[in-house]
Amino acid sequence: MLDKYSCLKKLADRRGSRDAVITTMSVSMPWGELSDTPLDFASVDSAMGHGADFAYGLALAQPDRRVLCLNGDGSTLMCLGTLVTITGKPAPNFTLIITENGTYEVTGNQPVPGAGTVDFEGMARAAGLQQAYTIDREEDFDAKLDLHFTAPGPAVFVWRIQQADEPVPKPSAPIRQRAHALRDAVIS
Amino acid sequence: MQASLIVDELRKHGVTHVVGVPDNGARTLFETLWAADDIEVIGVTREGEAYAVASGLYVGGSTPMVIIQNTGFLETGDAFRGTAYNMGLPIVMLMGYRGHQTLVPGAERIDTAASFFEPTLKAWDIPYTLMQQDDEVSDQIAGAFRAASERSLPAAVLLIGTTT
Repeated sequence: MLDKYSCLKKLADRRGSRDAVITTMSVSMPWGELSDTPLDFASVDSAMGHGADFAYGLALAQPDRRVLCLNGDGSTLMCLGTLVTITGKPAPNFTLIITENGTYEVTGNQPVPGAGTVDFEGMARAAGLQQAYTIDREEDFDAKLDLHFTAPGPAVFVWRIQQADEPVPKPSAPIRQRAHALRDAVIS
Repeated sequence: MQASLIVDELRKHGVTHVVGVPDNGARTLFETLWAADDIEVIGVTREGEAYAVASGLYVGGSTPMVIIQNTGFLETGDAFRGTAYNMGLPIVMLMGYRGHQTLVPGAERIDTAASFFEPTLKAWDIPYTLMQQDDEVSDQIAGAFRAASERSLPAAVLLIGTTT
């Protein structure tokens, strides 16, 4: 199992200055402590399950910029069709990271359906996504860190992470304000 | 309504992407869009995704439009609320009005996709206009773009009948 906080730190250290990072649920707060630039967007106070498809749209509109989305397993399950949607018009600059801990962390770690049995990498590959990897050891994470930024997208990385106890994320500002700030940042 | 008139109107408003799911009423419209090389069509597996993808496109600097049927619209509640609406994005949507013809006094069967539709649009604070003839295409679509821009919120055109 991976330590989420260690992985996020390594991802933040490797991340390029033009890369946009969309976070959801239990990753949003710890990511916000590592990086709080105009290109970081917490999909919080939004619609659970729709961070990845939002990030996909952003990647299509910004083909010269890497767009990474850190999505929980519960969020991914809420809109599994997105794994298929992103194959229709592939965005080579899109990376989807599924943080798999088997629970709805911010509501108290209740199990998600299929916890421990569902195979996200297998589903991604079955949807037609060839760049799909499951990572559960730190050495493997270190070896594949660069791929998160260089693999031809859409690329899917499943991080098998330890359970933690992040609270419900609190947005830094209303989502309307944050969405327009992100727009200003990417089109400027 | 002629699909080509609608597509020409979308071009006038700078639409870069159409995100949605085809239905019988918009079948020809989608076929015309797929054949066009200046507007990208992004198919989604469920209508709620359309608002999230379109929101990402808009935030990224594109001008997306959502085209779905009223049945799918009724599925989209939280996605619409949490993305396009809460983010305050002027996204125009064209929605097929399945069952409109059943909304007449004495109808044998009322299609709830139709009877639930306009009350839901009002409850969700979505301004809308109806479009069912060629000579309405330009004004109704332009009106929706104007309404969306003025409020920086989504606005809708309801498509009655089928495109040809």
